[in-house]
Amino acid sequence: MWARIINTILGLWLMIAPSFFEYSSLAADNGHILGPVIITFSVIAFWEATRVLRKWNYPIAIWLIIAPWVLGYENNIAIISDIGVGVLVLLFASVKGKIEKNYGGGWSSLWKKNPKHLKQSE
Amino acid sequence: MANNPSYIPPGWDYNPATWDQRIPIVILAVVGVFIASYLALYQLEIIDTVWEPFFGDGSVIILNSKVSHVLPIPDAAIGAIGYFVDAVTGIIGGTKRWKTMPWIVIVFGLAVGPLGFVSVMLVVFQPVLFSAWCTLCLCSAVISIAMIGPAMDEMLASLQFMQRVKKSEASTWKAFWGVQSEIEKVK
Repeated sequence: MWARIINTILGLWLMIAPSFFEYSSLAADNGHILGPVIITFSVIAFWEATRVLRKWNYPIAIWLIIAPWVLGYENNIAIISDIGVGVLVLLFASVKGKIEKNYGGGWSSLWKKNPKHLKQSE
Repeated sequence: MANNPSYIPPGWDYNPATWDQRIPIVILAVVGVFIASYLALYQLEIIDTVWEPFFGDGSVIILNSKVSHVLPIPDAAIGAIGYFVDAVTGIIGGTKRWKTMPWIVIVFGLAVGPLGFVSVMLVVFQPVLFSAWCTLCLCSAVISIAMIGPAMDEMLASLQFMQRVKKSEASTWKAFWGVQSEIEKVK
């Protein structure tokens, strides 16, 4: 839970930081677009049944780490912020947390030939 | 009754269709209906001003933007309809509806998911296209995102049930629409 909360706060930071530190418009857009997406995946992953969405933040975090070069940032705060947030989001998204209940094999069961919920029902 | 063991899906520890699972989502959806309706009333020019405590004329800019009027009815009105569908499909059906009414659970899941997706997209548009924020639009987005996680467990139970239907001798079509004789054939 705490890992999801931290990533939610990091997403909020991406949304609000451009207003405080005179980001270039590209750097600001990057934060304004990815902040809400990180928040969305983190909040949905609060719940055990949809915890898997934490992993959807991996590609976004990796993009944040390389974005300062790809988009040619010049503002040092924007560079440090995006790389730092990228590393932290990657780190906390990798924390699985407690899964205390069973969900019949979860979402991946839907693609399996002999899923757990089918075996349990027999 | 809700805690009847036969109401728990196979391989699960709890029943995702109990009222204490569903009522919080329905309450969020109803709050969403109120917020979106209020914003729609402003966009339809039925009320003249809109409440905006933090971002100056942000709400005015966002709610009058081209994006919000790209469809025949304003976007907040579509949001209100979406939340209404969420609330109705959240209420309909008993506490075993993941099995007895798969169609309503799947419609519910499909209504909650895209509404959240569109809300996030609109949140992105606010600063990127218009350099403005709209407080109540952000509140609406928070609500629609918060509904997704708790709604999806029931959706998963119904999809797993449909998977078992497919592997049984029952008609997938009839079981989806909740025909009891077909549902009884499936474990």
